[in-house]
Amino acid sequence: MSFVESEERIALRKAVSEFGAKYGHDYFIAKARAGEKTTELWEEAGKLGYLGVAVPEEYGGGGGGIGDLAAVCEELAAAGCPLLLMVVSPAICATVIARFGTEEQKSKWLPGFADGTLKMAFAITEPDAGSNSHKLRTNVRRDGDDWVLKGTKTYISGIDEVDAVLVVAIQQTGPVLVVVPTSAEGFTWHQIGMDLVAPEKQFTLFFDDVRLPSDAVVGSPDQGLLQVFAGLNPERIMGASMATGSARLAVSKAVTYAQQRTVWGSPIGSHQGLAHPLAKIHIEIELARLMTQKAAALYDSGRDKEAGEAANMAKYAAGEAIAAAVDQAIQTYGGNGLTAEFGLASMLGMSRMARIAPVSREMVLNFVAQNSLKLPRSY
Amino acid sequence: MNIVVLVKQVPDTWSERKLTDADHTLDRESADAVLDEINERAVEEALQLQEAHGGEVTVIAMGPDRATDAIRKALSMGADKAIHVSDEALHGSDVLATAKVLAKAIGTVENVDLVIAGNEATDGRAGAVPAILAELLGLPQVTQLRKVTVEGTTIKGERETDEGVAFLEASLPAVVSVTEKINEPRYPSFKGIMAAKKKPVSTVTVADLGIDASEVGLSGAYTQVLEAAPKPPRSAGQRVEDGGDGGSKIAEFLVGQKLI
Repeated sequence: MSFVESEERIALRKAVSEFGAKYGHDYFIAKARAGEKTTELWEEAGKLGYLGVAVPEEYGGGGGGIGDLAAVCEELAAAGCPLLLMVVSPAICATVIARFGTEEQKSKWLPGFADGTLKMAFAITEPDAGSNSHKLRTNVRRDGDDWVLKGTKTYISGIDEVDAVLVVAIQQTGPVLVVVPTSAEGFTWHQIGMDLVAPEKQFTLFFDDVRLPSDAVVGSPDQGLLQVFAGLNPERIMGASMATGSARLAVSKAVTYAQQRTVWGSPIGSHQGLAHPLAKIHIEIELARLMTQKAAALYDSGRDKEAGEAANMAKYAAGEAIAAAVDQAIQTYGGNGLTAEFGLASMLGMSRMARIAPVSREMVLNFVAQNSLKLPRSY
Repeated sequence: MNIVVLVKQVPDTWSERKLTDADHTLDRESADAVLDEINERAVEEALQLQEAHGGEVTVIAMGPDRATDAIRKALSMGADKAIHVSDEALHGSDVLATAKVLAKAIGTVENVDLVIAGNEATDGRAGAVPAILAELLGLPQVTQLRKVTVEGTTIKGERETDEGVAFLEASLPAVVSVTEKINEPRYPSFKGIMAAKKKPVSTVTVADLGIDASEVGLSGAYTQVLEAAPKPPRSAGQRVEDGGDGGSKIAEFLVGQKLI
């Protein structure tokens, strides 16, 4: 058993960290405030193979695992550039297609994931079902060789900047995953107004009898549920990584400030009232990172079930860590923590999002209570 | 075209760098070690020349064991192979000994057309190794370049100075040194990082290169550091009260510093 990442993983972190620093938090905030996307960053990261680290080599990817992709996501977030679409496009969509897609589907989609030239959103949440895949109502039915999709999805990230969306829909035998190009006829969306400082926007999607070709359903229609769960573990691992990366950024800003800001002759960081909370959060971030790396290692070694438990725990821990980190960083800065100049207040919304998405803290606790502790279900 | 790039691992310029109390050499534990920034540019230039003219890029580094990190970085950027000269006897070597060792190491690479170095390292800052090396190798030296091109067997370069730009030419093989203006170094791609581990790195000692250990290191150095003191803290600077004439006072200050 090793608690140290491989030399290559460490080198990857270093390279991505230096690359991310070229853009930085100010760049990210400026793009978000201007209503623009971080296109240059995404494209350059794609060319360097950072977005496609987990895509199989025969399709132009790096041949690594979710652990590598999570490292990229974390280091970019720590450099001030948390890329929400990394959580869905290369992590969920590329993983599901690589694991379950037909040969034609893999050849069609994976090379674009490998170099980042293709972006795909992921749609599971519904207005009346949340993330409860057993109550989903968006349905897809056969019509000759075609599929016809009908329903509504909500809180879907980045639909305005993707080529297609991977939709979880219900058919006779249960859920299936359907690739819907954003250009498909009958597919419309509207933006949800969010008070989040993020370049990626949130949308409600409407599928009004959208007609799709027979190869739109990923892999075998009978294996949909397995596919959904195979995609959700990477999503939790990536969500956790983005959160721990951003939490590291918040703590590092707070530490720098606590060392420089001097009141009554000594830096404020010398006061335990500020030093201890930061130390505690640093510990919590490290614990969350450790569990995230464990979840990724389990997932990459094919142990889906154990990975599921670890990924949920990692997501929980990371969500709590970033909420505490941004909270305490702002407190450390005092009034400066709320200025636009220091960029901490811009992280507030995102710091709470990690507690809610992709699965809420409460649903994780339900999962752990029932599955890990075998307590009775409350619902 | 076969190119040798000289790289050096240095303490991170952002960290506080210290000398040891024992012998006033660099305290390598006091700071993070990184591939010198100028060497990243030297590697980038070698890779661009390789992309245009083919051939092989060999990295040569002289330094303690952990210099392998700097070598890996150069390999992950795209260099083909590396030679690492690592020997306790090298501790405290001056520029003459360093150049002597590097010359011997370059001699082990076949058919070298070009040696590329940074103009100076961010730690020692002597800036003399490329020139000494060219003398030892008996090759033309084209140093302090902001631009390099190769046409046939001729290397052309631009050297920028306070007086103007010099356009230089030499026939290959040659030694060049590049400045920070030469290019923007690439980031290692994921494939580059994965491939770097499999690339050959041969580690050699001074004895392997046919050099007597007494010629190198602190004892073989022509100069000796007798004393070292930390630099004084930055002084408070000059405070100017703006009584409506702040602008002209700033101008006076700048004139006094010969900045305007």
